[in-house]
Amino acid sequence: MRLTRRKRNMALITMTPLVDVMMILLVFFMVTSSYLDLDMVPMVQSEAAGQAAPAAPAPTLLVRITASGEARLRGQPLTAQALASALQDAPNARVLILPSGGANVQGLVSAIETATRAGANNLRVVRLEADR
Amino acid sequence: MKLKRRPQPPAQETVISLIDVMFFLLVFFMLIGRMDATAPFEVSPPVSTTGESLPRGGTTIAVAENGMLALDGETIQRPALLARIRDLLAKKPNLFVRINAHAETRLTHLLPLVTALEQAGVGDVILVVTPNPA
Repeated sequence: MRLTRRKRNMALITMTPLVDVMMILLVFFMVTSSYLDLDMVPMVQSEAAGQAAPAAPAPTLLVRITASGEARLRGQPLTAQALASALQDAPNARVLILPSGGANVQGLVSAIETATRAGANNLRVVRLEADR
Repeated sequence: MKLKRRPQPPAQETVISLIDVMFFLLVFFMLIGRMDATAPFEVSPPVSTTGESLPRGGTTIAVAENGMLALDGETIQRPALLARIRDLLAKKPNLFVRINAHAETRLTHLLPLVTALEQAGVGDVILVVTPNPA
């Protein structure tokens, strides 16, 4: 006697759980991600990333930032042109930015931006206020 | 005469195209999105045209306009913040710190913090800025 097996239907792959998991992941990434376009300005750089210390002391250009946020070089309002010409006279000069404690972060960033546009590559922010 | 319509089988909904679109969106959001901890207070970074691209990773300190601090999304006092940074530095010596400060924050809140981070041994401190296309 010959027995014949009954033909089984092909198992269907159910897509519903996959779609559910993908939907949850999609919503998770959409909700938790932020899409702000942000840049950065270095404040402190490690020795490896920063410049090597020069053999001779470099001349210094002091940029002051007033409490109102205005940057001044040698008593005059800071412009990229003025700083660029000062840097031409003293190449490799160290630009020190001395902000007033009353100035805000935007004032400091604007001064750094002007110095960067003028070609200053040795830039340092200093402060006189005592740590509280 | 009454005509009988042949009963049609129910149309099968094809979910394959839906899955394709969802997979595409999923990959898009995974690649484009940045899952940083957001500050528990409002922070509007200063605007700059000469900023460099913001590196991923590191730890983020948010500084509010009134000087309030947050580390990776949690409000924290300055001594506790410095202690946490020292702990992180012990685990990862080349840790870099991003400072996400509000544009109107006074520098009396920011600069002592930068000095304290430097003294704690942080080698790289960067300030988050908003790029200005103009």
